[in-house]
Amino acid sequence: MTDQSATMSVIKDYILEEFLPGEDPGQLTPSTPLVSTGILDSLAILKLIAFLEREFDIPIKAHEADEEHLNTLQAICALVDSKRSLVR
Amino acid sequence: MDFAWSDEQMQLREAVKSFARDELNEGLCERDKRGEFNREGWHKCAKFGIHGLPVPADYGGMGADPLTTVGVLENLGYGCKDNGLLFSINAHMWTVEIPLLDFGSEPQKRKYLPDLCNGTLIGGNAMTEPGSGSDAYSLRTTAERRGDRYVLNGSKTFVSNGNVADLVVVYATLNRSAGPNGICGFLVEKGYPGFKVGRPLEKMGLRTSPMAELFFDDCEVPAENRLGREGAGQSLFTHSMNWERACILSNSVGAMQRLLEMSIRYARDRKQFGQAIGKFQLVSSKIVDMKMRVDQAQAALYRTAWLQTKGRNVYLEAALAKLTISENWVRCAENAIQIHGGYGYMVEAEVERELRDALGSRLYSGTSEIQRVLVASLLGL
Ligand SMILES: Cc1cc2nc3c(=O)[nH]c(=O)nc-3n(C[C@H](O)[C@H](O)[C@H](O)COP(=O)(O)OP(=O)(O)OC[C@H]3O[C@@H](n4cnc5c(N)ncnc54)[C@H](O)[C@@H]3O)c2cc1C
Repeated sequence: MTDQSATMSVIKDYILEEFLPGEDPGQLTPSTPLVSTGILDSLAILKLIAFLEREFDIPIKAHEADEEHLNTLQAICALVDSKRSLVR
Repeated sequence: MDFAWSDEQMQLREAVKSFARDELNEGLCERDKRGEFNREGWHKCAKFGIHGLPVPADYGGMGADPLTTVGVLENLGYGCKDNGLLFSINAHMWTVEIPLLDFGSEPQKRKYLPDLCNGTLIGGNAMTEPGSGSDAYSLRTTAERRGDRYVLNGSKTFVSNGNVADLVVVYATLNRSAGPNGICGFLVEKGYPGFKVGRPLEKMGLRTSPMAELFFDDCEVPAENRLGREGAGQSLFTHSMNWERACILSNSVGAMQRLLEMSIRYARDRKQFGQAIGKFQLVSSKIVDMKMRVDQAQAALYRTAWLQTKGRNVYLEAALAKLTISENWVRCAENAIQIHGGYGYMVEAEVERELRDALGSRLYSGTSEIQRVLVASLLGL
């Protein structure tokens, strides 16, 4: 698995478990909208940020906790990757 | 975690304590009765550097880190008994300066931050509406883009500093069907057309902190006064609340310490049944409880600020700090009244005011129930 697909799989598992329990994993694709559809509401966003910071040991800035950066698995992975490349 | 203060921090903490004691308490009982804001005290605090504590020197502030900031504010609260004045300053710092600092454009920061830091401008934050309190994102105030401006329509309530504010961060929706993702923040100056200040609201406590309703009737806001991206209101408000929850009760920790010391003195001096009331275990145990609560509150405050200094999000810690300090402040004030007996119930003893002031802390910046909801959720429940 590449770094990127491993990241996506960790995040996907977390989202499925926390916010979409019982959902068919196949339904959550890299481009499924999460924030605009309300799957990630304001509380869920806080939980997700806390998870990403803990899991990947990266700091996420306040203005990144929004639809633009968190709406899809793809966008979330891009955010995480951009942070990790800074940390490295 | 290291909470040891450096010599420089100690000096600042001591200096603010004596400044507050000497300069901010005179006439407080009368101001509290009249519900009057201490504008002179506001300016004195700004001159001391309080308003600009967390703002970088580049924008006119002191550039202190979060731990230094809360330490200074704690001592300000120890020396200054005017909890209302300090509440107004905190509202200005955490809900106007910080959002501006972290979401504002460079020209916005240059335009407003120096005057917010030196106290020339008074800031306020308008989120709550008659129909939306805890469920803040269900707000109904609308914003519509028209050419080079936004037009705001709606009303806000419970706006701290509302009737004295020069600059208000107003939250409105650009698209109600987008829910929280349609919300946006705006920097609204008091002179903008269509901006009206409603009646002042009289409160139970924090009476020296002004509060009002605000009305927006086709209020025109220049497009360059949008704060953050369109639809970024949710992250802006979350950020603002996070700071507010972490820091707004710094003063209260100082106030609790003051109440504790006052109660110890009284329990040693007051004699009943031939001995100091502090010798009765039912009285001394209340004082022990107060001490325990002050220490809990202080630990929660410092831990959260320390984590913030490390640059991490503190959603969980900030909610816990807000909950711990507010609940403990109320209990400490109740104990202080009980220890002072009938005298504690009299206005002139200046203990009952502390309880009235403390009670509001369970409501603003998210009620205690909402902090519990947040914490439970962040714990995975
Ligand atoms: C001193 C003070 C200063 C303030 N300053 C400002 C300001 O500057 N700007 C601003 O915008 N607002 C301000 N507010 C408003 C404040 O943010 C709101 O009062 C607060 O968010 C609660 O909203 P509400 O009063 O409408 O109560 P509601 O939300 O109607 O709540 C009523 C009760 O129901 C409980 N409740 C609601 N939802 C839940 C839930 N999901 N689970 C469990 N219990 C729940 C609450 O905890 C509360 O006990 C201020 C308030 C006070 C008291």
